[in-house]
Amino acid sequence: MMRIVIGEGSCGIAAGALKVHKAIENALENKSKIEIGKTGCIGMCFLEPIVDIYDGKKLLRRLVRVSEEDAGAIVEAAETEDFSKIENIAISEEDEEFLSRQTRIALRHCGIIDPTSIEDYREEDGYKALKKVLETMTPEEVIEEIKISGLAGRGGAGFPTWFKWNAARQSKTEGKKYLICNADEGDPGAFMDRAVIESDPHSLIEGMLIGAYAIGAEEMIVYVRAEYPLAIKRLEKAIEQARENNLLGKNILGSGFSCEMIIKAGAGAFVCGEETALIESLEGKRGMPRIKPPFPAQRGYMDEPSNINNVETFANVAWILNNGGAAFAAMGTENSKGTKVFALTGKVKRSGLIEVPMGKTLREVIFDIGGGIRGEKEIKAVQLGGPSGGCIPKNLLDTVIDYRALAETGAIMGSGGMVVMDESTCMVGMAKFFLDFTALESCGKCVHCRIGTKRMQEILTRIVNGKGREGDIELLEELCEAVKDGALCGLGQTAPNPVLTTIKYFRNEYNAHINEHRCPAKECAAMLTYKIDEEKCRGCTLCAKKCPAKAISGEVKKPHIIDENLCVKCGACSKVCRFGAVKIL
Amino acid sequence: MNIPQSNFKPLEPVLTEYAKIPGSLITILQKAQEIYGYLPKDVIYHIAEKVGTTPAEVMGVATFYSQFRLAPIGKYLIMACQGTACHVNGSERVSAAVSEYLGIESGETTEDGIFTLENVACLGCCSLAPVIMINGEAFGNLTPEKAVSILENLREKEEA
Amino acid sequence: MDKIKITIDGKEIFVENGKTVLEVAAENGIEIPNLCYNKNLKIYGACGLCVVEINGAQKLFRACATAAADGMVINTDTPRVKRARKVALELIMSDHVGDCKGPCSLNCPAHTDVQGYLKQIALGNDKKAVEIIKKKIPLPASIGRVCPHPCEANCRRKFVEEPLSIAYLKAFAADNDLASPEPYKPEVAKATGKRVSIIGGGPAGLSAAYYLRLAGHTVTIYDAMPEMGGMLRYGIPEYRLPKSVLAKEIKAIEKLGVLMKNNVSIGKDISFEEIRKNSDAVLIAIGAWKGSSIRCPGEELEGVLSGIDFLREVNLGKRPDIGKNVAVVGGGNTAMDACRTAVRCGAENVYVIYRRTRAEAPAEDAEIEEAIEEGVNFKFLTNPAEIIGENGKVKEIKLQIMELGEPDDSGRRKPVPVEGKFETLEVDTVISAIGQKCSAFGLDSVELTKWGTVAANENNMLTNLEGVFAAGDATNNGASIAVDAIAEANIAAKAIDAYLSGLPLEFFKPYYSEKEVKEKDFSGKEKIQRAVMPVRTPEKRKKNFNSVILGFSEEQARNEAKRCLECGCHDFKDCRLIRYANLQPIVPEKFKGQEHKSFVERKLVTIERDQGKCILCNLCVRTCKEEAQKGILGLVGRGFETVIKPEFESPETVRFCKDCHKCADVCPTGALKILE
Repeated sequence: MMRIVIGEGSCGIAAGALKVHKAIENALENKSKIEIGKTGCIGMCFLEPIVDIYDGKKLLRRLVRVSEEDAGAIVEAAETEDFSKIENIAISEEDEEFLSRQTRIALRHCGIIDPTSIEDYREEDGYKALKKVLETMTPEEVIEEIKISGLAGRGGAGFPTWFKWNAARQSKTEGKKYLICNADEGDPGAFMDRAVIESDPHSLIEGMLIGAYAIGAEEMIVYVRAEYPLAIKRLEKAIEQARENNLLGKNILGSGFSCEMIIKAGAGAFVCGEETALIESLEGKRGMPRIKPPFPAQRGYMDEPSNINNVETFANVAWILNNGGAAFAAMGTENSKGTKVFALTGKVKRSGLIEVPMGKTLREVIFDIGGGIRGEKEIKAVQLGGPSGGCIPKNLLDTVIDYRALAETGAIMGSGGMVVMDESTCMVGMAKFFLDFTALESCGKCVHCRIGTKRMQEILTRIVNGKGREGDIELLEELCEAVKDGALCGLGQTAPNPVLTTIKYFRNEYNAHINEHRCPAKECAAMLTYKIDEEKCRGCTLCAKKCPAKAISGEVKKPHIIDENLCVKCGACSKVCRFGAVKIL
Repeated sequence: MNIPQSNFKPLEPVLTEYAKIPGSLITILQKAQEIYGYLPKDVIYHIAEKVGTTPAEVMGVATFYSQFRLAPIGKYLIMACQGTACHVNGSERVSAAVSEYLGIESGETTEDGIFTLENVACLGCCSLAPVIMINGEAFGNLTPEKAVSILENLREKEEA
Repeated sequence: MDKIKITIDGKEIFVENGKTVLEVAAENGIEIPNLCYNKNLKIYGACGLCVVEINGAQKLFRACATAAADGMVINTDTPRVKRARKVALELIMSDHVGDCKGPCSLNCPAHTDVQGYLKQIALGNDKKAVEIIKKKIPLPASIGRVCPHPCEANCRRKFVEEPLSIAYLKAFAADNDLASPEPYKPEVAKATGKRVSIIGGGPAGLSAAYYLRLAGHTVTIYDAMPEMGGMLRYGIPEYRLPKSVLAKEIKAIEKLGVLMKNNVSIGKDISFEEIRKNSDAVLIAIGAWKGSSIRCPGEELEGVLSGIDFLREVNLGKRPDIGKNVAVVGGGNTAMDACRTAVRCGAENVYVIYRRTRAEAPAEDAEIEEAIEEGVNFKFLTNPAEIIGENGKVKEIKLQIMELGEPDDSGRRKPVPVEGKFETLEVDTVISAIGQKCSAFGLDSVELTKWGTVAANENNMLTNLEGVFAAGDATNNGASIAVDAIAEANIAAKAIDAYLSGLPLEFFKPYYSEKEVKEKDFSGKEKIQRAVMPVRTPEKRKKNFNSVILGFSEEQARNEAKRCLECGCHDFKDCRLIRYANLQPIVPEKFKGQEHKSFVERKLVTIERDQGKCILCNLCVRTCKEEAQKGILGLVGRGFETVIKPEFESPETVRFCKDCHKCADVCPTGALKILE
């Protein structure tokens, strides 16, 4: 059976996948021997929309950057099995490396199965691990297997999963225990969790069920960002399917184990990714972190023992139970086992979702999988861990992906945001960008975060505006250390990382801003000077017409001049000039 | 101020389902916002009464989360992504152009009630950066000029 | 119950299991600063002040939320803890908008609690007012008469109409107290057996003597003049400060047990070394008694005097022969004292030679006005070019005509000569009142500044010599106003007391929160005119040395005191924030940025709330919810923009408030005020 499968994750949809779907559907009309289907995110966001042509389970062709106009040719090719007319949109060998160089466990089904079909999931060994656990293993044995696997929290902190499960298991209550999934993916450059839920929701449900069995939870809650409507929709559908198949509810698969599952949508607050804030939010309150102890394993949601793991962590669980903890632990480094998913973005050629074994170097990820830097420029740094992480400079690109090795650079593993920057990215601007974010997202409870991040943001703002003062770097350092020490929760304690790592590795950029009023990356508008090269200017007057500040004067066919006092540094002249006469100094 | 009293009827099924389930305040507010488009003050009081809490508590929650709005929004909700990938790819200039074209800042609505602009954290379309989303539809790989022309088209459509 | 052993700050203690480190510390008399903890409420953990170091742990712990565990070794005051606390306080203060004290108090060199004593005067409690004043100024009747009152220059009432008449109110209260059957008499502490010698019995020496005596030390003042009082006695003319008033205040100090030895000159009658040998601590407060010379040709002529020499002679009861025509050079208060004294000595034409204009003159404007009323002829924009003599005696003074040029470093426009323009006055006497210097005769071992004054550390007034301190006109920057000398003496007294008790001398300038105000902030205030001090007419007063001012009437004084705007915080004395802020030096200015606006709102029945002073400890919200069971207060917004809203526009909410005041009771700052 020939099948045409369209990748319909959020990225694909944003790139026009639904329009392509419709067009292919129309082109198919009654050609009943060809099936049309959808799948989730394959991870190659840079090639979206992506359309795969399968013969049964065999992938015949992967088509990329598909548009509605291609629909007829695609259908024809699927019908005739003559792909010559669509070779122009077939994926290149080079781009195929993006996938072939990965090792996929958490993402094992993404882009392969139809996320809205439980049958598809079952065909890929879905719910086999759950069945095995419920029928043959005690909760202690499950925890032991997870311990052998070395699985650690993929949300960023890297805390051993078995330890948390065990603590929740040991915790006594007369009420009930809760297993919570943190899908409040807040790092503004990461979308791993969204992709997993959108593309493989059953693997999350199965992982959570195994966890719930291990700790003895009767209720599971998934806390999803409100900004992920498609993920919520697909997970709702998967829950419904699981219920219909006695995979949720009372006496699951006849084992005597009962467990319910609900979704709660967040309402837009980054801090709710912090587990105690998440609990407050689940309880319908302001998402302000609680002081620890008591830890959630002792008193969490509704004051009951609760265990919280993130999506990617759960997505690994069924695989581990199917293949054994040892197989998982065989991958990676001494401290970090298994694989890690990253959202690779920024100035890289091939951006998207990738999964690699721990122990690979950043260079391998960025250059072998990501294809290196887009355009002519040189790589400058890579940012890991978003607002809680840091920038790692190019001379440390041989650092391996490992919790400890990354922490030693001042960055963190993080939940998987990996943003690549080239020479044109201002590192002070980068620090300011993250502090703008953290200051906005601070819950406002503790002094260090509420006022500390605000003050950091203010200092960074004046530096990028060319108003930095002598001593500002030292002041930032003092403030950062204090906030790390004094903030109440992880958000505040890690908020200084983007500042500290950029100061550590790019102090010269800070100095250039403060002492020389110069932005080496030529990104900070306040410090740029626009000048017209008399030799190159033909006096076409276009720049003068475009200038919003009327700062450009000159006669027709004679070189024009920019009045620096009037110039608002918008860059309009530079963009409009056809002769490259506008120089940015 | 003379605010017409909101009609609580559409809210009743929501309250019947959730009011007595502990910890459901955010869910109720989300559903209320779906109904009214925002959270009118009298609705907040009504919810507080039905849930058995104080208006201060409800107000605290409603003002904590960025999803909740205390004023009506425009016909088109423009969400300008401020994610890291968008930042690296020049989102600030896109936001500035949108803001300038509409004459409003983030969180504001144009006087004609057509556009509301909101700068939001990552929309998750990082490989299309920079991105804006208008009423749920994403527009990627933007330049300031492209973004403005999208808005110009919408405005023309409205004026026609 | 189980007992566990823990160690706090090196002290081993056994405590019941299940308590937090904060509780255990408090029970054992160790205060760990905290602003968001309350024993009746759930742990919150927001302020970050209560951090402590626990041996073996990498990070700092919040004492409020850390359970004391067996064998725990806790340190509450390590450099790391202090640093963390310091930044936390600096951050809080950078967003704490309010006035700890009014500008009157902050601009008073002695930091007198002006608002506090004005309130007592308004209420008619003069003795209580004097008690408050004497915490900082032991000579209020005298200082109230002579002080150029920087407090008044900064009084915010000036934005409404005119500043309060603070100095005269001080004198009013002090006069009343002195005249009362039982004037205020402070407690003297138990004798310490320590001996302090003070060289110089002027305002600095007398003040230091007062505070050191109150601390229980044996204090002896040595003074070269026949009577105590220094420049107050021998520099200020009788018509401004009747010597009988000063004498009463000095007597009150003597009655406390201060030993006063007059007519003793150091280096002549007794050596400095001998004084040191006989004392446990020494304070040098010798003042600045040497006039500066005019530095123009003819200054050596007979008939050229220095202002302070002239005033001293007159105050000693002599009447120097100054002739009919007198020129006084200078524009400061000494010049005014000299010219008006010259009038009272019978001179017919008295000129004041000053190189700038009236606007730049450092003398108080009222003094200039009164001098003009008394017939003094001001020659502004003139400078002595030469004093011309005849037979070695002054005959004429040649004046260079000046004009104002560009502003100098002090911001005043610099006078420059108008080339070739001169004026000549016929004079019998030239009195130079252009500054005074210190003479450190007999103090050879004491380190001096390049200006010849005694060099002292500004924070504790310690000189280069062990146990020797200095204060007043004789130190550092030299001569200034009396209350400056008193302020230095207060620091010195505190330092000497600490020194004698074996405590460290690490003093630092206290931090106070100050808020910026604009004239329009006061637009709604009712205008009430400043009380006018009744004075004797110029005709009458120029004939003798009787006091110029006649004193406020009772009604005038009480009403004037009521004009006080009460700028300072009502909660200053109980404010935990400011107390913690002054445990070590802090510099919140370095974090200056956006602030919560200060405005007062009244939404609960009898509580007034100032947004600017709120530090978001959330105690009020939690108390209202957990203790009062009301939940009327709540947090609104997120992050830096978070505010506490007492209610929102619903009359019902106000009805729910049962006026229990629990919120205001727990507020650690002055953000919530219970209305009386």
